[in-house]
Amino acid sequence: MDIELGRKSINCNEEGDSQKLGTIDPKSTPFANIMEVDRVDGRTGNQRRPVVCTRGVLNRAHGSASWAQGDTKVIAAVYGPKAGTKKNENPEKACIEVIWKPKTGQSGKPEREYEMVLKKTLQSICLLNVHPNTTTSVIIQVVNDDGALLPCAINAACSALVDAGFPLKHLAVAICCCVADNGHIILDPKKLEEQNMKAFIYLVFPNSIQSVLPEGSLKPGGEVTEHGIITSVTHGVMAVDDYFSCLKMGRAAAVELSDFLRNSLKSKAGNDPSKAG
Amino acid sequence: MIVFEFLCTLIGEHVLLRTIVGFVAPDLVELNLEHQWEKMEQKLANSLTMTVNEKKFVENALLSDIRVDGRRPFDYRNLTIRFGSEDGSSEVQLGQTQVIAFVTGQLVQPYRDRPNEGTFAIYTEFSPMADPSFEPGRPGDSAIELGRIVDRGLRESRAVDTESLCVIAGKLVWSIRIDLHIIDNGGNLVDAANIAALAALSTFRRPECTFGGEDGQELIVHPPDVREPLPLIIHHFPVAVTFGFIGKENIVVIDPTHYEEAVMGGSLTATLNTNGDVCAIQKAGGDGVLQSVIMQCLRIASVKAGDITSKIKNAVESYNTQRSLRKIKRHNPSSAVSNVAKHHAERLTLGANEVCVGNQSNEHDKMSERNSTTKGVSGGLASWDPNSQGVDADAWRDSLPCATPLDKYKEESSQVNPETKSAEQFSDTNSFASTHEATNIVSPEKQSKTLKDAVKPKRKRRNKSTSNAHAS
Repeated sequence: MDIELGRKSINCNEEGDSQKLGTIDPKSTPFANIMEVDRVDGRTGNQRRPVVCTRGVLNRAHGSASWAQGDTKVIAAVYGPKAGTKKNENPEKACIEVIWKPKTGQSGKPEREYEMVLKKTLQSICLLNVHPNTTTSVIIQVVNDDGALLPCAINAACSALVDAGFPLKHLAVAICCCVADNGHIILDPKKLEEQNMKAFIYLVFPNSIQSVLPEGSLKPGGEVTEHGIITSVTHGVMAVDDYFSCLKMGRAAAVELSDFLRNSLKSKAGNDPSKAG
Repeated sequence: MIVFEFLCTLIGEHVLLRTIVGFVAPDLVELNLEHQWEKMEQKLANSLTMTVNEKKFVENALLSDIRVDGRRPFDYRNLTIRFGSEDGSSEVQLGQTQVIAFVTGQLVQPYRDRPNEGTFAIYTEFSPMADPSFEPGRPGDSAIELGRIVDRGLRESRAVDTESLCVIAGKLVWSIRIDLHIIDNGGNLVDAANIAALAALSTFRRPECTFGGEDGQELIVHPPDVREPLPLIIHHFPVAVTFGFIGKENIVVIDPTHYEEAVMGGSLTATLNTNGDVCAIQKAGGDGVLQSVIMQCLRIASVKAGDITSKIKNAVESYNTQRSLRKIKRHNPSSAVSNVAKHHAERLTLGANEVCVGNQSNEHDKMSERNSTTKGVSGGLASWDPNSQGVDADAWRDSLPCATPLDKYKEESSQVNPETKSAEQFSDTNSFASTHEATNIVSPEKQSKTLKDAVKPKRKRRNKSTSNAHAS
């Protein structure tokens, strides 16, 4: 009798895809000055780093995922739903608890901020009424930080929740845009680029809806749901126009990323029947 | 007092306290004890409880020398050592147990009683993601014990040379900090954490410091891209080997899983090195065992320590070779183009940095997946920077044996590449060519010239013919 149940892990890497899809034809976009940007690793202004998403990395956790964007790598694990909510939390809904573990050192104020942002983002994508009076813990471990850490963590947490089978309304797709001193908008910066920028934004969009009905993806008023913004965290000062340009670029990148997410999360074949213990 | 004790034995302390305090301050009781009770219940619910049947099964199976996961009593689980993209970070997987280690260094003032020695400290984090019963916040007893065992093995046996960490005696020394993160608890955390710490220490590099400035007294810390950082001096590798004692007859098993840990009556951790020195022994309580059993354990441990040390050394060596190849790229006669090439070679070797020691997927899969990764990257290169040199063959070729186990899904996606039609077809050339189907990578005219220099012409011709045969 084999008490231990094996865990399979699916590793999806879209290096080839991202290089191809991440480039938007410059003639069709309003920001024609993007292609002139000279980045350290040779990417263009609106090109993401290659993404590696692996589900089921951990054996004990109910759901786990590791997400790497270039050199930035984050592991997320989900335990839950567990009985009971924390104090001061609404017992009519599920409660989400986020624990952020930095690479080295003690958890300090920046970690608290990340936990709060992540918690609020995840609360908006989860169906909280399905498991009332329960707590689901999401634990994030930073393996390497090379820019765009919070978006990486949000993507990892979302994949981990999918891996755990937690009921979600839709997926969250996170991306980082920054504004350079000369006004160029750059997507997915590395750490050095982030530090030299005037301002950068972390944006989280819902993933695009694939509806059976042709009108299914439109909200009343004709605005497509995938253009809604779940979370926007900005650092630094930028002009309003720059902010809107970042939003446009972020949306376009999020659409491709959400296609990648849909394909990679769908491809996992029948899960193990039991992960308890 | 005597009445109190008598009542205690009858009812139980908790309940007694509660009734007494209940008479005095009813509200206080409600809040505090309720809360503690809830926490205890949560902890019990989360920790692993084994049924009597399961315990009996484990013990009975051991009587016939079989363990629940099919191992024999003195077999270790599969050990995989991988390294991150930065120096001094390692990830170890021992069966289902996973541990990540990070090593960082800082210049600090030395301790007053040791003015010319550096310091090192170990911080252990039992992450709540490893086990539902691990709580965030302060480390518990087992976390502290693990940290102490690893620390004793490294410090007291003088495995890490601390005198070489001294910069200015009495004023500035290097302080090395090792962070161990347990991310998956599959049992035997001590061994895995120890291996992770050793691997991370072996690949850690500290910046070089020299004296300069006007008076020659100023300390300059050179950043890594100016001067090559230096590795730590490690004299020997103290490897921890853990034994569990299960059942009334105290049957010995090595490398217990977390099920066996829940069942075992006692455990012994022996830290040894390949020179035959016993660096540390930890047997904290538990069932008593015979001296002869302990001697047998030590003998077995020294054999296992040799195995593990050679695995660590192999992994570190391959990491170092790849790292030096990356360095070569960096010193290329500079142009923006070659920097691009360097970075892409780096990106490639980032994937290849994962050195798999232990049983992994078969070579064929490795090779084809490796190639499709490369193709993905260089295909992308061709699409937006036609003047780039593409991927350098050397870094590419040498990183091939250390392939990451990647999924077929990615292979499918990277084969769809419309830009490839225009460029020249160039097939992979290496010694493994015969064992796999030739997968083609795309590269512009310039790249074929560089690769041609690196590769013998007759091999290329042979592979071209095989690729044509496969294509047709």
